[in-house]
Formats: sequence, C-alpha cells, structure tokens
Amino acid sequence: MSGCPFLGRKYPLFTSKPSQAEEEDESQKGINKATKGGIVYGEYLQLDKVLNAQVLQSQQKGNKIHDEHLFIVTHQAYELWFKQILWELDSVRHLFIKKHVRDERNMLKVVSRIHRITMIFKLLVEQFVVLETMTALDFFEFREYLSSASGFQSLQFRLLEAKIGVADHLRVPYNRQHYKDNFHGQESETLLSTEQEPTLLQLVEQWLERTPGLEKDGFNFWGKLQANIEEGLKMEKHKLEQMEDSEVKQDLLADLNKQIEIFTALFDPKRHEHLLSKGERRLSYKALQGALMINFYREEPRFQVPFQLLTALMEIDMLMTKWRYNHVCMVHRMIGSKAGTGGSSGYHYLRSTVSDRYKVFVDLFNLATFLVPHAWMPKLNPNVHKFPYMAECYDSSYNSYSSEDSD
Amino acid sequence: MSGCPYFQRKFVSTSKQNLKEDESDDSQIGVNKASKGDLIYGDYLQLDKIVTSQVLQSELKGNKIHDEHLFIVTHQAYELWFKQVLWELDSVREIFISGHVRDERNMLKVNTRIHRIVMIFRLLLDQFAVLETMTALDFYDFREYLSPASGFQSLQFRLLENKIGVPHNQRVPYNRRHYRDNFGDQESEQLLHSEQEPTMLQLVEQWLERTPGLEEDGFNFWGKLETNIFEGLRREKEKIEQKPASEIKEEMMAELIKQRDIFLSLFDEKRHDHLVSTGQRRLSYKALQGALMIYFYREEPRFQVPFQLLTSLMDIDTLMTKWRYNHVCMVHRMIGSKAGTGGSSGYQYLRSTVSDRYKVFVDLFNLATFLVPREWIPKMDPSEHTFLYMAECCDSSYCSSSDDSD
Repeated sequence: MSGCPFLGRKYPLFTSKPSQAEEEDESQKGINKATKGGIVYGEYLQLDKVLNAQVLQSQQKGNKIHDEHLFIVTHQAYELWFKQILWELDSVRHLFIKKHVRDERNMLKVVSRIHRITMIFKLLVEQFVVLETMTALDFFEFREYLSSASGFQSLQFRLLEAKIGVADHLRVPYNRQHYKDNFHGQESETLLSTEQEPTLLQLVEQWLERTPGLEKDGFNFWGKLQANIEEGLKMEKHKLEQMEDSEVKQDLLADLNKQIEIFTALFDPKRHEHLLSKGERRLSYKALQGALMINFYREEPRFQVPFQLLTALMEIDMLMTKWRYNHVCMVHRMIGSKAGTGGSSGYHYLRSTVSDRYKVFVDLFNLATFLVPHAWMPKLNPNVHKFPYMAECYDSSYNSYSSEDSD
Repeated sequence: MSGCPYFQRKFVSTSKQNLKEDESDDSQIGVNKASKGDLIYGDYLQLDKIVTSQVLQSELKGNKIHDEHLFIVTHQAYELWFKQVLWELDSVREIFISGHVRDERNMLKVNTRIHRIVMIFRLLLDQFAVLETMTALDFYDFREYLSPASGFQSLQFRLLENKIGVPHNQRVPYNRRHYRDNFGDQESEQLLHSEQEPTMLQLVEQWLERTPGLEEDGFNFWGKLETNIFEGLRREKEKIEQKPASEIKEEMMAELIKQRDIFLSLFDEKRHDHLVSTGQRRLSYKALQGALMIYFYREEPRFQVPFQLLTSLMDIDTLMTKWRYNHVCMVHRMIGSKAGTGGSSGYQYLRSTVSDRYKVFVDLFNLATFLVPREWIPKMDPSEHTFLYMAECCDSSYCSSSDDSD
C-alpha cells in the first residue's frame, strides 16, 4: 500500500524467528559494543548535568506554568551555542596572536572556523520561531517569577561581543551605567581580562596592513590606484564637457562631481582619522587599503581565501544585527512597552542596539562605495609581480599533526 | 557616512559627562535591578552545569582535537530539545489520558503544543548544517576516542519514538538484538513503561473513534458515503459505456475499474484488519472513518482545529523521517561504509530506518487515496446536524487557570 521498499519485506516481526535472508542483511552486520565497558553516550555528553538543569521558578513558587520549560530550554540552547562560538573565535584569535597566520597554510582553518560561526549564528536566528510559539499571554503567567534575571546578565554574550570587537565607547549605555556593572566577582574579572586581549577586529586589522602589494617601494597599490582614478575621472569629465548642453549633461556632470568628492575623501588620510575618532570607521587607513586590494584582486590565487574571510566577517556582523532585531521584535510582542526584568526600558533599549555602532566590520561594508571600473585597477604583470600567486609558508610552528593542542 | 539613525545622536560615551541629554531618552529609562540580590540569569538557567559539561575525550587522552567540541555541543543541543519535545508530548498525552480532551476548550492547547513540537523538529533539521561544517577528515582525528558511545544509546530519542507510537515490533532489529538491550536497568525500565503507556497514536485513535457524525443511528457518515460513492461510480460507468468504442474509452473504463477497486477495499473491513496485522495500517477502522470525516468537513467550525491537529501529526512524521534521512546522509559523508561506534553497520543500518515502518500516522497520509468529488460527500443540513457547530465543554475539570497548569 505504501510502496515503501523497507516495509513488509526482509524484516520479519520481532516475534517470529529470524529468517535466513537476514543472515546476508547488510544492515544487521556488527556487534553491539555498548555492553563491553567504556564511555557511553549519556556519560560522554554529561547528560546527567545538562538534562537536570531545568528548574521552573513558577513550580518552585507553587504555580507551575507549562511554558516556562520552553523559555528555560531555549535560553540554555542559546548559551550552549554561545560557548561553541567562543571556542571557535578564541582558536582563530589564537592563530593570529601566535602569528601562525603568517604561515598561509593556516588560512583554510581560519576561514572554515569563521564560516562555522556564521552557520551557528544562522541557526540562532532561526531558533526564534520556536520561542515565538509561546504567546504573550502564556509568558505573562510566569514572567513575575523571573524577578530580575535578564539576558543582560549573559556573560557569554558580552564576551562574544567584546572578543569580536564591539567598541566599548560606542555601546548604548544601559540605565546610564556601564554594562559591566551587571557582573560581579569572577565574571567581572573575566570580562576585564578579555578586554585586555586583542579583539578579532584588531587582529584582522594588523593582518590587512600586511597585505602584499601595499609596499610603496613595491607594487604600491595605493599610489597607482590614486593616479589611475584621478586620470580616469579627468577623462570622464573631458568627455562630458564635449557633449551638447542639455539637462542630461547637467545631471551627468553632477554625478561625476559627486564621484570626485567620494574619491577625494578616500585618498585623504586626515579625513579617515577624523572618521575613526568618531567611530564611523574602525580600521586603520593602511588596513582599509589592504581590504580594497583583496577585494579588487580576489581572483588571484593568493587572495581567494582572504576574500572569503572578509566576506565571512561581514556575514557575522549581518547575522548579529539580524539576531538583535529578531530579539527586539519578539520582546515587543511579548511585553509591549513594559520594562525589562533586568530593569531597563525593555523594547526601547533593545531597539537602540540595532544600529551600526555595533557593526564591527563596518568598513568592509563601506568598501562598496569605492568600486571602480576594471580598467582603472592597477595592472598586474605575472612576470614582475609574483606575490599574487606565491604564498608564504615559513612559520615552522605550523604543523597539522602537532602533538600539543591541536587548536 | 553610515546613515544609521542611532549613530552619533543621543548616545554619548559614558566617559563624557553629557548625562543631561539622556534624561528624555526612552531607552535609558529604568533602574538596574541586578544589584538587588534576586535571582540572576546564570543561576536561573543553571549555567554552571550546562557550560561546564563539555569534556573532550581527545583532550583527556592527551591529543586535543578542536572539532570534538562542536561534536559534543551539537549533541547536547539535540538532547536539550528532545527534553523539550518530551515535555510537550507528555502534557498532551496527559490531556487525552485524563479525559480532559473531551472538553473541547482544551483543543487549542493540544494543537498549539503539537505544533510547537513541529517547530522544534524543523530547528533540529536545520541544525545539521552546523555539524556539516566539520569535514570527514576532522572527524577521523577524534573518532577513535568515542568508542563505544553512540547515538543508539540516546534514551530520550527512544522515549520520543515510543511515546509518539513507533511500534516496537516494527523496528529494524539492531545487530539482531532488541533496541532496549543498549540500556542499563533503570533506563530499560523507563523504556518499557513508555512502550506500555498509551501512545500518542493510540490516544488519537480513540479520539478519532469518537468523531461526531459516525454514529450509525445518527448521521451515519460511513453508510452514506459508501452509498454515494458506488452510486457515483455507477453513473460514471454508464456515461463511459455510452461512448463509441475507441482506445480512449477502454482506457477510461480501466481507470474506473481501478477506482472502484480502491473504494471496494476502503469499505472492506476485513481487508483493513489484515493490513493492520501486517503493520501497513495503524489506526482502527472506526478511527479511519473519523479521520476521513474530519478531512471532508474540515471547514465546519467543530472540525477546524481537529483538522489542524491531524495536519500537525503528519508534519511530525514527515520531519522525523527527514531527520533520519539527513542523519543518514551526514553519517555516510563522515564514515563512508565503516561500522558505527556502537557496533552497528552504521550507514546501512540507518538507511534502513528511513522507511514507512517508522511512520506513525501513515494512515493519515494514505487518506489522500480516497478523496472524492465534492458532490459525492454526504450533504449536511444545519438545522438537523447541529453537531457541526456545537462543541462539548462538559468536563468540569477544564480550567484555564487550574493549579496544575499542564
């Protein structure tokens, strides 16, 4: 009736004797090892801890509310995945800090792990729909028992933000206090020591500054680019001025002037410093040049994986801001304009964090402002310029089979 | 430069002293309560337990492999969600077992929770993409340290299968042994209980048998349907016979005969019972009738939410089988044709579980075989058949704010 190949045939009901046909059955091969000692599933995953950590406050207070269990499990799942993200993030930061990243054989590992972080974030954004099966009415029934517990006290979330590179001075203040005031003792110390360590943003910045081709006495990408762009714009202007006077000509000239302004600003290091001080740019001027170089020459063998890395870093920013926005929408639905359990204004505070001030790799996004026609890009000559296809693998500490921690 | 409205304005860095600007700021209203000594986040969620339970076997054995952490966390996340699914499933079974479901005010709760299980399964399906960022090569580096731990030993997964209604005598044997043999005494007892207690399938079956309109001395849905269908088929036959002889006529006649055979089998109770004994059908004959009734009259107010429930039950089956298949594909990629850590044939065994024998609500899927033109469906008369829009709310134990809000 069902047409399913596995139904009916081959597998007799357990009550009857196994037929001879089973002897040759591929799926039955093997011996059950679980009885022979050694670690079993539940022990390996410490499920006695994980699965006994769900204590409903509503039940403790004598008014068990069914949906509180979902609330707890959802947050615990988020924290599990935060831990995994921190695991990957720290291992990548470590590769940069230890300078192992200078051995380009480590780039695959770097990109794979950053990409894995984006995959986890995608899952975390998708996870909202599960909690959204709880209605505001159901939430109202147990919210009072949560008292002042609040996501603001999630240590891992703050560690995550800090290690990626969210700028402290750009954070939206929380009840006019520093977000760190939420944490005490050991947790507070952990946060403080994290701030002393290099962030992913800083490490990527230094890496970008080392992009081959930037050397003024070498390929001199920036100098060549500036010359090409100025020449290109000059020629465009000349062409336009040859046109007959018309409204179209005026519009085109206005566009061209805008372009000239944009590129003049690009090549103005003082302007960059100014924007840096305001927090509108986050990378150094040299790092910006490196990023633009990788973008323009992304198909050169040396830059292919670095380009994937830059893309993945922007993906992280996008997913984090999507996460923040999803969270805002859900909170609005759940509590309207009531205050948060932690004491904040709730919805209004959260809404204000969906902002570019929390975008760490904002400069990579803004590179799209400076795209130019292919013809204006400085030409590469494979006989002269070997760096686009020759990698550096000199770091002797790179070893895919090292006996110490395979991080 | 960025064009973001929240940038620059309003939010000054805390190192500056322009706090006056903040006073009218909505986002700054409030007092931080965390310092007032109540329950805090980490304690509420017992994070000290959750976040310290990742111990890498490769590290214990002196050869720490980075990707093992992802392997552990992924499985722990699955088990957390399994616990949540069991929480929802048990609460719904309880509503049926206690008879509370007879008060139709409880139907929203039932439906909402079953649908929530569907949403969780969708997430569990999405979760595979994360573990798939681990390559077979990376897995190979730490797999040796796992033996004999295996997903076969996941108690919650088995409980889930049993409580939904996977029949234990339909299970593909695992190394020719009973699946319960994988577990110690206490867990084995839990499993035994889950086999003996009413399953979702059984409870839904009893509920379907009570579908209003089946009463032979009442609306008599089945009797009327049988009459209508064979009358309809007879008329179709006459129409075809009147056509001039041709190849098309023969084809149409053959089609009609096939249709007739299908419906003859539908109304043959003995045939149904035979299929139940071979495991190809699971619901009783009466329950099948109830399900078909709900399908045909799903827009009647009384049957709207019941129809949504049947749809969600099928969604669960679909998602579980997709889960099994996703799992199979990933395992194949990870270990090819090697044996599983638990000792099974690995890929081969798992492949055999992607089968209709694990489809609990298979009958609901098969109802699509018996759809008929609208005109053949027995007609309703609202003045006579009030059961279509009048619910029963008789159970005094229904209470939307009872002390045990389950």
